[in-house]
Amino acid sequence: MMMRMVLQRLGIGIATLFVVSVIVFVITSILPGDVADIILGQSATPETLAALRAELGMDQPWYIRYFSWLGNLASGDLGISKAGGASISSLIDSRIWNTLIMAGMVSLISIPISIVLGLWAAMHPGTRLDRIVTFGTLSTISVPEFFIATIMVLIFAVKLKWLPATLYLTGNENWSELLKAMAMPMITLVIVVSAQMIRMTRAGILNVMSSPYIEMAILKGVPRKRIILRHALYNAIGPIVNVIALNLAYLVSGVVIVETIFSYPGLAKLMIDGVQTRDLPLVQACAMIFCAVYVILILLADIASILSNPRLRHPK
Amino acid sequence: MNNSQSGIRYSDLTQTHKDLACKLSKEGMGRREMMKLSLMTGVSLVAAKSLLLDAKVAMAAEPKKGGTLRYASNLHGPDDKVDPRLFTSNIDYSRGRAVYNGLVQLGENITPMPELATEWTPNSDASEWTFTIRKGVKFHDGSDLTPEDVVYSMNRHLGEKSTSVIKSVMSSVKEWKKSGPMEVKAILNGPNADLPILLGLFQNKVIKADSTGDWNGTGPFTSESFEPGVKSVHKRNENYWREGANLDAIELTAITDPVARVNALISGDVQIASNIEPKAFRQIDSADNVNLSSIPAALQLGICCLKNSAPGENDDFVKGMQFLQDRERIVKRILKGKGSIGNDTPISSAHGADFCSELPQREFDLDKAKFHFKKAGVDGAEIFVAPVTSGIEDTCLLAQANAAKIGFDLKLKKVPNDGYWGAVWMKEPVNVVTWNMRPTANSQLAIQFAPGAKWNDTFWNNKRMGELLTASLSELDPDKRHAMYCEMQTLVHNGSGMVIPAFSNINDGVANNIMGIPNVPLGQVGGCEWPEFVWMA
Repeated sequence: MMMRMVLQRLGIGIATLFVVSVIVFVITSILPGDVADIILGQSATPETLAALRAELGMDQPWYIRYFSWLGNLASGDLGISKAGGASISSLIDSRIWNTLIMAGMVSLISIPISIVLGLWAAMHPGTRLDRIVTFGTLSTISVPEFFIATIMVLIFAVKLKWLPATLYLTGNENWSELLKAMAMPMITLVIVVSAQMIRMTRAGILNVMSSPYIEMAILKGVPRKRIILRHALYNAIGPIVNVIALNLAYLVSGVVIVETIFSYPGLAKLMIDGVQTRDLPLVQACAMIFCAVYVILILLADIASILSNPRLRHPK
Repeated sequence: MNNSQSGIRYSDLTQTHKDLACKLSKEGMGRREMMKLSLMTGVSLVAAKSLLLDAKVAMAAEPKKGGTLRYASNLHGPDDKVDPRLFTSNIDYSRGRAVYNGLVQLGENITPMPELATEWTPNSDASEWTFTIRKGVKFHDGSDLTPEDVVYSMNRHLGEKSTSVIKSVMSSVKEWKKSGPMEVKAILNGPNADLPILLGLFQNKVIKADSTGDWNGTGPFTSESFEPGVKSVHKRNENYWREGANLDAIELTAITDPVARVNALISGDVQIASNIEPKAFRQIDSADNVNLSSIPAALQLGICCLKNSAPGENDDFVKGMQFLQDRERIVKRILKGKGSIGNDTPISSAHGADFCSELPQREFDLDKAKFHFKKAGVDGAEIFVAPVTSGIEDTCLLAQANAAKIGFDLKLKKVPNDGYWGAVWMKEPVNVVTWNMRPTANSQLAIQFAPGAKWNDTFWNNKRMGELLTASLSELDPDKRHAMYCEMQTLVHNGSGMVIPAFSNINDGVANNIMGIPNVPLGQVGGCEWPEFVWMA
C-alpha cells in the first residue's frame, strides 16, 4: 500500500520535472536577448554575435537544443555553462554544499525551537507566554529578511566589528570560525522560518484540541500535557511536517536575498545569475534541483503524516 | 606637501614623532588619531590632520613586501572568463592583469610603457609596427615566451570567426606575423599612430599558443584556484621577469550588493571595494579605517537622441536637451563632486592633450532650451532610462524637473539593465548610454561618431568627422593634431545627437593601509592595474 503510493508519487514527480524543464526552457528563451547578446553586451556586432552563437551551438533550432540537453541529462551530463565555459557540475558542486550546510544548520536550530515553542504556546493558550510567542512570531513574519539582515550587519559588523559583514569562506576554517562567519545569515534565516513553523504547530494542535475525542479525554480527567503529547500531537503532525517541508525547500531554493546581502555563493543566486546571462543549461540544472527537492520533501512529509496517522492509509 | 597654515611640516618633526605619525596614519585618519597626535606632539588639531596626511604620503614612497589582499569587485558570476579576449568585467580585467601580461602597459596618464615588448617602431607612415619581444620571460608552466605565442594571441582578435570583444577596435590591424627570432610585426590596413596604446586594452593579453588562456600567463601572480562567481586565489610569481608584485597573495571576489560591499570594506572583510556609489561617499568618509580613491575619468553620463528618427533628427530638439542640463548641479549634487562637467562631447580632460579646452562650455539655460524646443515644434519627449552608470537616473530626473519649469513634458521610461544593450540602446529614439573610457581620444570618438560605425549610437554620420578621424591617426605634429581633435569635438558638440552633461570619476573604497594604486583612469581601481603595484603599509 505504502510502497505503491511512494512509487506512484515518484512517477508523478518525474513527470513534474519534465514539465518544469519544458516551461523553464520556453520562458528563458522568451526573455529578450540570448547568451551571446549578454556576453558581448555593448560591444556586440552582428558578425561577432553570429560567430559566438555558432561557437556555442546556439544557431540550432530550439527543439534540437532542448532534446540534446535532455539526452545529456539522462546520461548524467549537466553540460557546459554557455556564458562562462565552466562545466555546470563544477559550478553547482561547491554551491550545493554551501546551500546544504546553511539549510542544514538553520533546520537543526529552527525545527526543535519551533516545535517546542509551538507546543508550549498550545499547552498554555491565552497566557502571557502564549501572547509573547504570538506577538513575536507575527512581528518577525511581517519584517522582511533583508531588513533583519541589514540591521544586524550594521550593528555587529560595521559598528562593533565582532562578526564579518560577508560570508566569505576560504575553505580552511575550523568549526568555530565557520560558526562565527555563518552566525548572522543563520540567525536571519532561523528568525524567518521559525515564525511560520511555530504558528503552524500552535494552530495545528489547538485545532485538534477542539475535536470531540479530546473533549472526551478532558472529561476522563487526562492531564493536559498528556492529552497534547499523546493524543493531539500525532493527529496534528500532518500539517506540521508539511510546513516544515515547505520551509526546508525554501531554505534550499529561495534564500537569494540572504545570499546576496552576505555575498554567500549558494544555488539560488546561481540560478538568478543564470537567468541574467540567459545561460539556459545552468538555469535548467538549477530548476531541476529545486523541483526535485520540493518533490522529495513533500513526499517525505506525506509519508510522515501517513505513518503518524493510520486513518490516512485507507483513503475513502 | 607643505603646510603653511600651521607652520609645521612633516619634515620638521623629530624621528620619534615621524614614526608616531606614520603609526597613527596607518590606524586611521579620523578624529581619534588627530587627537592622539595633537596630544603627544603638542601641535594643533588642524596641523595634526595635515601631518597625518603627510605621513601617509611619506610612507607611500617606500613600498613594502608581503601581505594578502582581498578585493571585492561589483559584479561576477558563472560567466567569469578565463580567456582574455572575452573579458568584460572589472573582476575579469583584474584577474587578467594579475595572471597575464600584454605587449604594452598603460601607465600614469595613459602613457604606453614596455611590458612584454621592449620596444616598438613604426614605419614612416605608421602603417606597419615592429615589436621586439622581451627575452627570458617564462610562462607559469615553465615554458619560454616565444614570438609565436605573441602572434597567436594577437591574431585571435582578427578574422571573420573571431568572437573577441575588441574585434572592431583592433580591426585596423590586418595581420600579425613573426619577423625575426624575437620580433613580431603588425601589418595595418592603414596608418594608426595610436596602435601601441590600443595594445594596452584589457583583452590584449599574451597567452600560450594554441590555448585559450587557461590561467597560464607570464604575469606577476599565478592562479591557485578559480571558481567562477565565487572567488579566485593568486600567489606571487617568484620567477617574474621584473621585480614584480609586493603582495604575497591576492583573493579576488565580488560583492554584488552595493551596501554589503561598503559594509564589508568598513568591517575589514575586504581591503579594496570597487565601484562605490555616490550615496555611500559619506559612510566611507566617516569611517576611520578606509578612504575613497577617486580618479578623474571620462565615464560619460550620456543621453543619445537618435538622428535617424523623430524627435532627435531635429537639431533644435537636441539643442533644447543640451541646454536643459544643469551640469554644475549634476556634478555637485548627484555625483557629490566626484566628477567633471561635460561639454556634449565624449572627450574629457582625462584624455590629456587631445581634450579641446578652447571649446566654449555649454551652460544650463532654460530660456535657450525653451526657445529651441519651440523652434523644433515639440512639447514633450520620452527618455528610456536604465541604471547603466551611477547618477544617470538622477540626471534624467533633474532634467525632467527642469523641463517642467518651461512647460516641456519630459517623460522617463524606466527599464532594467538586463537586456538593455540589445533591446533599447540604438533602438529607442531617446535613450541613455555610458561608455568605458577608451585609452585614446581617437578610439573614444571613432567608436561612437565614425560615419557608419557599428556603435554610432546617435546615427550621426558626418563626412568631415570621418576624414578627421583617419587623418589624425597619421598626424605626428602635436599642434596640428590638437587642431584636428578640436575640430572633431566642435563637430560633435554642435552637430551630433549626444547630450553629455557630466563625466563620473572612478570611485573605489580602499583600506587606509593600502598604498600605490596607480593613476590610470581606464577602469576601476587604477584601471585594474593595481595587482602588480599596490602594497600594504
